[in-house]
Amino acid sequence: MAQVLIPTPLRQFADKQDTVEVPGRTIGDILATLTSTYPELRKNIFNDEGKLRSFVNVYLNDEDIRYIGKDAARVLDTDIISIVPSIAGGSLV
Amino acid sequence: MMHIERGPWREMVNHAQAAFPNECCGAMLGTIDGDSKTVTVALALDNVSEGSQRARYELRPEDLLRADKEARARKLDMIGIYHSHPDCDAYFSETDLKNSCPWYSFVILSVYDGVFNHANSWLPNAEQTHAEKEELTWPKS
Ligand SMILES: [Zn+2]
Repeated sequence: MAQVLIPTPLRQFADKQDTVEVPGRTIGDILATLTSTYPELRKNIFNDEGKLRSFVNVYLNDEDIRYIGKDAARVLDTDIISIVPSIAGGSLV
Repeated sequence: MMHIERGPWREMVNHAQAAFPNECCGAMLGTIDGDSKTVTVALALDNVSEGSQRARYELRPEDLLRADKEARARKLDMIGIYHSHPDCDAYFSETDLKNSCPWYSFVILSVYDGVFNHANSWLPNAEQTHAEKEELTWPKS
């Protein structure tokens, strides 16, 4: 099964695990299974419309899923999926 | 509350002063024990904001992915993000709030005329509508 790496602050919503093995053939399947297993993760990753929150990026190995088919991206058992935030800012309002 | 150890603290201050008059940014790794966080490693990362960086910063997600891997390899946790405010106080601006990620602590270093002045740590809420100040300590000498 593919491994999903859980960022530190979200581990409290995944039984304190830093890595979760999730069955599935596509990114969409895997994220759906992950967030139905751990519903508290769901609202941290998805918005009310079921889309990834604006600051959430998902990587399949080293590639942003937006460039490799998004939810339809195919996943192999040896793959590693990471949840990575977008962060920016500035002193100017 | 958050404490930053001497080594990473020096690196963060040096980074903020070297980047002046631009904003700098980076990741903080360390340990978490209940509500108490200790930063033991600072990772300086690129500010990739386009245009003037005097009042803007942006991190590459790829660099944050690398920072997370580095934390795992060192058996540490990714605790937060730091950035600087050149010639500005260490408040959490509306821009900081809207472009933050509510999972992490955000440390801001205020630098006036190229010299470190003060710092604050902020915790954005889940909806990114408000940020709470977090108690922050660092070695004073
Ligand atoms: Zn800022």
